[in-house]
Amino acid sequence: MKKNKVQVFDVINNGILLLVALACIYPFLYVFFVACSNGTYLQRGEVSFFPKGFNLEAFKYILGSSKFHVWTGLRNSFLYTAGGTVVAVLTTYVTAYALSRDRLKGRYFLMGAFIITWVFDAGIIPQYIIYNKLGFIDNPWVMIIPGAINTQFLIITKTFVEGIPKELDEAAVVDGANDWTILTRLYLPLSKTIMATIGTFYAVSIWNQYLIPQIYLKSDNLKVIQQVLKDVVIADAGTSTAFKNVIVNGITLNQQNLKSAAIFVSMLPIVLVYPFVQKYFKKGIMVGAVKG
Amino acid sequence: MAGRKKAGTALASGQRKKGIIQDFIKSIKKDWILYLLLLPGLLSLILFKIGPVGGMIIAFEKFSAFQGVFGSPWVWFDNFKKIFADPYIPKVVINTIILAILTVVVVFPIPIIFSLFLNEVRLKWVRSTVQSFSFLPYFISAAVMVSILYTILSPGSGIVNNLIRSLGGEPINFMAKPGWFRPLYVILEIWQTFGYSAIIYIAAMMNIDPSLYEAAEVDGANRWDKILKITLPCISTSVIVMLIISVGNIFTVNLDRILLMYNSSVYDTADVIQTYVYRMAFESKGFPDYSYGTAVNILKSVIAFVLVSFVNKMADKFAETRLF
Repeated sequence: MKKNKVQVFDVINNGILLLVALACIYPFLYVFFVACSNGTYLQRGEVSFFPKGFNLEAFKYILGSSKFHVWTGLRNSFLYTAGGTVVAVLTTYVTAYALSRDRLKGRYFLMGAFIITWVFDAGIIPQYIIYNKLGFIDNPWVMIIPGAINTQFLIITKTFVEGIPKELDEAAVVDGANDWTILTRLYLPLSKTIMATIGTFYAVSIWNQYLIPQIYLKSDNLKVIQQVLKDVVIADAGTSTAFKNVIVNGITLNQQNLKSAAIFVSMLPIVLVYPFVQKYFKKGIMVGAVKG
Repeated sequence: MAGRKKAGTALASGQRKKGIIQDFIKSIKKDWILYLLLLPGLLSLILFKIGPVGGMIIAFEKFSAFQGVFGSPWVWFDNFKKIFADPYIPKVVINTIILAILTVVVVFPIPIIFSLFLNEVRLKWVRSTVQSFSFLPYFISAAVMVSILYTILSPGSGIVNNLIRSLGGEPINFMAKPGWFRPLYVILEIWQTFGYSAIIYIAAMMNIDPSLYEAAEVDGANRWDKILKITLPCISTSVIVMLIISVGNIFTVNLDRILLMYNSSVYDTADVIQTYVYRMAFESKGFPDYSYGTAVNILKSVIAFVLVSFVNKMADKFAETRLF
């Protein structure tokens, strides 16, 4: 009797949680269903839980049309994310290494400066004035250089580097190694996990950036995909002037098709890499929760 | 080393200072590679972190782009006085606080309840599927989330209005109704963050000693007893720390999300301090008042900083965990 009751609880609990999980990803699926349905059914309100009149013309159209800059946005986002992640991981790691050495004078002062400027956020206007002076207006490097050190990731990395036994580099110094050889031969090979962890976090945050590019990157050919999405889907929501129904190969594409296709392609890269990097995310959160 | 000790005790302070500088030069000469490695980090700190903080002095000036940060005339606290005379300020402050309180009260308990039930799941595939799916939205950008919201709520062909129509109702233009802004903001917040927060609680639950449950079973405890009397008390430290963090972040709103969601028809509920400052700087007609915008932001940061420091002390007291 008692055993039976427990099983009922399990069945209901599992069922509800799986429904919650489905509800979390349903909006993403819905966007996909809309994007690959025939616009005629869409207009009649017949698309909810599966695509109707399946086709991929909306994707072809939105990526091919020069009017919407979707392709340009994706290309730019890829370039900024790739470049920015490499620069950020290397800068953060090397800085964490330097700040964790006892021989570095003033390291507590520098760490303090990092933390104070992190906690006390200057706001977007002083930042704009400084970045303007440094020539970052309409300059793609704004996505790569200024974000090279995130203080939280610096702390996490530094804690990790400090955990590597000092005996190792003392032995290396006896063998005549300098900081460069210790860093590249000894520390980097031991730090692949932490670099992958902060790398995935940096990559996702650069890809998802909206505020910085919106302030600094004004030219259409420099815009990131998040800005393009804003222009295509959100800014157009009230008026819907940019989209007319188009008929491609006998398939009607309406504005909802095209907008959904744009949304789907802009989240696809994250969704695709998510299964592979999920474990690093979890690791990062746990370290961040303990140390952050 | 011996030289510095001698300098520290016997010689005058001027020479002591010289000793420190000499030490520093010596250190650089000896470990020049190390200092070279620090260089990118140091530049980044000075240009992108200290620079903007230093730029905040324009709040005490009548800043003009032509005269620059150092050439603009000082007005001291005039910009701050202006804040208290600005009739729009109370509205944005109240909107900010309402959004923050909603976030704490409505959003905060959800991952706790979720993780309590998830912790009961024994089937491995269910556990990992639910965790992966609920965690995914955390990595999706604000622009995508808000775009999806627009698609789902579209008055013409969105699924929600299709449903309303099929039930015989009139379609609602959700994104243009001030009354709908806060619920929608909170729904996005829940969707985006609960799976993330749950990971922290689940990890805390993993650390609970299994013998506690075994002992409870011997005493005849059922599943609810175990959830309420063992699991929940055991994660109370994590709960308190998370609660304190979210109270400390009360002035932090998701600026990307609001900028993407709002339009002038919902300013009544959607306009917060940060969006007000943003518009002042980047969407004003004529010359933007950078000094005033910065002053508003400084006041916000100072209040937030006091709050965070206070809350950090509380965390220290309750959980022996400092946030920074």
